[in-house]
Amino acid sequence: MTATEGVGRRRFLSLLGAGAAGASLPGLVTGCAPGGKGTGPAAGGNRPLSAAFYQAINDLDPHGASAVDEASLLANRQIYDTLVAWDGAKATPGLATSWRQPDETTWEFTLRDGVVFHDGSKLTSADVKASLERLAASDGPQKPLWSTVDTIKAPDPSTITITTKEPVGTLLVNLTLAFILPAAQIGKGDLSRKAIGSGPFAVESFTPSSQLLLKPAPGYWGGASKLAGLRLPYIPESSTRMTSLQNGEVDVTWIIPPDELERLRGVDGVKIESKPGVNYFLTWFNCGRKPFSDPRVRRALLHALDIKTIVSSLYGDAAAVMDAPIPSAVFGHAPQKPYAYDPDLARRELAEAGHGSGIRTSMMWFKDTGPLATELAQSIISAWAKVGVVVEPQQIEKAAWLKRLTALDWDIELQVNTVTTGDADYTLGRLYTSEANRMGYANKELDGLLAKAKATSDQDERKSLYGRACEIIWRDAVGVFPAALAATYGLRSSVAGFVPAANSQPEFRTVSTTG
Amino acid sequence: MTAYLGRRLAQALLQIWGAITIVFIALRVLPGDPAELILGSQATPEALEELRGNLGLDEPLLVQYATHMRDVVALDFGHSWRQSVNALDACLERLGSTLSLSAWAMVITIVLGFAAGSFAARRANTWADHLVSVSSLVGQALPPFWIGIMLSLIFARWLQILPSTADGTMVSLLLPAFTLALPFVGWLGRLVRTGILEEMNQDYVRTAHAKGMSHRVVFYIHVLRNTLVPVVTMLGLLMGYFIANGVIVEVIFAWPGIGSLLIDSITFRDYAVVEAVLTVITVCYILLNLLVDVLYVYLDPRIQLENA
Repeated sequence: MTATEGVGRRRFLSLLGAGAAGASLPGLVTGCAPGGKGTGPAAGGNRPLSAAFYQAINDLDPHGASAVDEASLLANRQIYDTLVAWDGAKATPGLATSWRQPDETTWEFTLRDGVVFHDGSKLTSADVKASLERLAASDGPQKPLWSTVDTIKAPDPSTITITTKEPVGTLLVNLTLAFILPAAQIGKGDLSRKAIGSGPFAVESFTPSSQLLLKPAPGYWGGASKLAGLRLPYIPESSTRMTSLQNGEVDVTWIIPPDELERLRGVDGVKIESKPGVNYFLTWFNCGRKPFSDPRVRRALLHALDIKTIVSSLYGDAAAVMDAPIPSAVFGHAPQKPYAYDPDLARRELAEAGHGSGIRTSMMWFKDTGPLATELAQSIISAWAKVGVVVEPQQIEKAAWLKRLTALDWDIELQVNTVTTGDADYTLGRLYTSEANRMGYANKELDGLLAKAKATSDQDERKSLYGRACEIIWRDAVGVFPAALAATYGLRSSVAGFVPAANSQPEFRTVSTTG
Repeated sequence: MTAYLGRRLAQALLQIWGAITIVFIALRVLPGDPAELILGSQATPEALEELRGNLGLDEPLLVQYATHMRDVVALDFGHSWRQSVNALDACLERLGSTLSLSAWAMVITIVLGFAAGSFAARRANTWADHLVSVSSLVGQALPPFWIGIMLSLIFARWLQILPSTADGTMVSLLLPAFTLALPFVGWLGRLVRTGILEEMNQDYVRTAHAKGMSHRVVFYIHVLRNTLVPVVTMLGLLMGYFIANGVIVEVIFAWPGIGSLLIDSITFRDYAVVEAVLTVITVCYILLNLLVDVLYVYLDPRIQLENA
């Protein structure tokens, strides 16, 4: 009976809302400039902050199959804590207040005192141990990051010790993806839906790929959020998403499509914030296949591209021309000398390599890999046509693209790649080794550099090793690295305290709204 | 009646079996491997092989099909790897949203369609009638996604009087429901108009007029009621269209129904969910048809069951 009454009242209220919206219609049409704050029916009141990322949150299990989806990571950052955080160059304290390395393969972390989970239970080293062990044993996409972990021990409630089979320089970075959940929930609770963490926000309700509703966790160790709540809706259609920002249905949305950026800048009540991002376009040559096994051909193709003009005309300031195989926001980036745009040189080099009569090849991509991907592919293809390289465009579906990519069944491919950890190891170390064999390129020297960089934990040494790796990949023209996408956020002007994040995982704890 | 129902039910089951089989084959013919999508681009061949084994993807197709049919009979579509839950549960928890959207679209279609149809019929062959006819043709010709984006631009972005996405209120239902309904308002209007004009020429109308009944009473009590019979058949099919057309409309308006779930699941080869959603849509469609057949008999007892 109560349930029926509840539904009845809610429906009555929403009908009332409909009536109100209808009644104020003439005033709105004549009196309000487009974009004025508070004209949207959803605006105003002590409602939760609404933040729409452009991808869907599917699963809250931080160790599950979707765990490194950008959208999952975004949700997990609000709900869970990690041992350490990453500020772009070094690890900063999270659940661990300090750590030391007694020897090359042993790490010892001291845990923060008085941290509680959203269910009120106290966080101890047993929870950390259980979470890390679950992650290491999981079948998901994080598996390769944890394959070198040997033992995880909890000698006392506030200490955790991790030993690795070999020295692992990226352990701290990888730990920023290792979310901690209560040991008691593992193997029991429905972790995909009813997540319990110790992070700044607790789950109120969740409908996969539709909406995640969070409320601030009182007494969060880093300081509790002052928001009434945090709503993370999924709006698949990007023009609808822009509309929701303009009429105040959502307070924050990202990523802003490059072709909408200029227009939104002129909209009242909306502000744009952006930051160099960790997402970037790359166009690999299949270096194991003729004619791309010849580095002269690959270099010639780079000289045939006026990357600067292509990128600035397509993306404006929503993307930056790259000067290395990884974006400048990534740890380990070292700038290289750009390939000069010189179609004549390109033709000469192609002729020297024995392709004076031209090349017929193909390029594959899937439409949603990144903003204006098709337009970018077409620009590159038409530039190559001018030097006699005829590229058949193959826009295919994501699943088909992935299948061919891993089977090395392609000539040239275009994709947006994400340096999820913000560290060169995640991309260079993972993709460019001969063993990984992701684009048919094999280089003993590069293998050695990447292995050494993986093993050392001296950050300066790692930086210089990855710098060398950038140089080799760039010099050998393993691919075209056209553009690093900016992380672009659209905000209502009433939103304060928001800090744009390079990795699309902003923190909402410090955000507040005015008016 | 029982024999008739029994036969229709058997036909329905056969149709459902056919649909499930077609969906199963279509999904396996498509290129793309769930194991690769789960493990991501850095997966090792061994890990992929192992996961394929766990998912049963390494079995011959016929074996997979037999297992699948056995599970489906037990209403078990398997596990959604994207959401880590039972696929049918994932579908059913969103079915309500789709049904309520379709139902409201239906209400809008009926109210506006009958209004437009009877308006046009009473002014047959005047400019008003032609206006209704032309606009209904235009309405039917426009693709729903275009109507959706236009309505969203006009009412949510420019006028800012309606929300562009679902926020749990009745108001947010208006745009998607109108988008679904608009192409069919004109369609229903024309159906109603033709029906009325045909009925108006029937003997019983002349008789009713002759015995002095007012024109309004004749029209609303007798004529309109008799036009219901062909219309109801169409409305049953219409509900099916709404559920299926909802796929695109739900994506445009971020409506949390099975349509947006379906699109997402196809992209990521979440076989279990795709099969669950398509089966649910099929079953809805077939059951609605069955319901229409039954309603038919109640609306016009003259209809012979065996010939229906």
